[in-house]
Amino acid sequence: MSNVISAKNLTLAYDNGRKEIIKNASFNIKKGDFVFITGPSGSGKSTLLKSLYGQLKPKEGNLVVGGRDLANISPRQLQELRTHMGIIFQDYKLINEWTVAKNVVLPLMIAGYSLDVQETQAHRLLKHVKLSEHADKYPLELSGGEQQRVGVARALAKNPVVILADEPTGNLDDYSSNVIWDLMENACQQLETTVLVVTHKIPTIFSLPYRHFIIESKGVYEVH
Amino acid sequence: MKFIKNHLMFILPLMAILLGIEFYLVFDRTTDSYEKGLKEGYTMLVVAKKPVTLQKLRQLNPHIATLEAIKREQIVSEVAQGVSKQSKKEILAALPYFYNVGLDSYLGTAALEKIKKDLEKDSTIKRVETFGSSYSSAYRLFAFIKFLLKVFIGFMGVVSLFLIIKQMEIWKYAHRERMQVMEIFGAPLMLRAGVLFKVAIFDAFIATLLTSAVFLYVKFVWAAQSGIDLMMQKQDDLFKMTDMAILLGVALLLVIVAVYTVVFSNKGVQE
Repeated sequence: MSNVISAKNLTLAYDNGRKEIIKNASFNIKKGDFVFITGPSGSGKSTLLKSLYGQLKPKEGNLVVGGRDLANISPRQLQELRTHMGIIFQDYKLINEWTVAKNVVLPLMIAGYSLDVQETQAHRLLKHVKLSEHADKYPLELSGGEQQRVGVARALAKNPVVILADEPTGNLDDYSSNVIWDLMENACQQLETTVLVVTHKIPTIFSLPYRHFIIESKGVYEVH
Repeated sequence: MKFIKNHLMFILPLMAILLGIEFYLVFDRTTDSYEKGLKEGYTMLVVAKKPVTLQKLRQLNPHIATLEAIKREQIVSEVAQGVSKQSKKEILAALPYFYNVGLDSYLGTAALEKIKKDLEKDSTIKRVETFGSSYSSAYRLFAFIKFLLKVFIGFMGVVSLFLIIKQMEIWKYAHRERMQVMEIFGAPLMLRAGVLFKVAIFDAFIATLLTSAVFLYVKFVWAAQSGIDLMMQKQDDLFKMTDMAILLGVALLLVIVAVYTVVFSNKGVQE
């Protein structure tokens, strides 16, 4: 199966390249893979994720996502690439002045879908994450777990090629966390979406086969 | 209330700039003929022993553009009232030739003095009167007033621009998160900044309409009642429909620049 993400001798750094976070990392992630990335605090898990959605350019090496080399990508190409990604944040990053339904269909809005399609999809997605009755509410009226379900629904809205999740359950209780894992497992299983999750701890109840990468001492290692 | 305040904080400085521009346009139009009169209405007086031609004077100095003879008979009839016809004839015979000489452009006093010297070199020219000081002082006073007005409008524009930038900072914080989230999901610039563009363009229209309303009031109500001759005579010049287009163009340009400033300073996700 083809690689959705491919890194070769990847070095990531902040402060204009002075502070290296990841050094000479090489790995491949295939379509439909469910990947957990773990590591101690400050090891560079979120930095790696940031680089995958083009927020941080590689200092050295190659990083190819969806066939695009992120070291040499134009702003327009990056914009296009991002429309094929679903991104989930620990702090949800919902737009608080928009309703839940409008938040969910943001990727469809960006892709230029009609309002009718957006409305139908909002209904379907909110039903999928069991938030139908909250469609017209605003994010701040929801609990943390509910907000994250909105975040997941938004990430799934356009059937993305890859879902990147940064500590998606970091702020949630066990029940809400399990709901989020279920949703992501379903996406991976049913839609063959590649899922990369940065987390401190791999959930104990997880039924899908998955790959596990550890970031340690600036290196990225796969645990077999 | 917050909504109105947010809009006013943008509309008022924008209006200050537009008022400045419109005020300058109106001032320029209403004083145009006065300025033209000062520039082109100026003539120097040349007294010659014999009749002279324009060609001859031009050979002496190329700045000379027009030559108009003052009727000698008229001078005699004015200065020699109650004098016999014979005496009038004698006076006329002895009287030199007077000419009003116009120049091709506005010149400074030094240039006027040079023309005087050039003309007086010719033996037929008896005397040249430039009226340099009164001409120069009137024009300079006008030019000074115009300069002061430009400085004032420029200063007002700069201060207003700072206020607009300040308001932009507030917009930047108010819309930062939304724009960043949209950027992460691949939204193009126009979609990310859609709300800002809508608000800014709306404000540009409001500021243009308010500024136009002020000058329409001045034109149709205030000018007629002012009792100021210049205002009443030049009522049509106080506001023209083309001004509205100019004001709207300037307002739109300013807000588009302002919005782009906000959008481009909003890059990256805040973690």
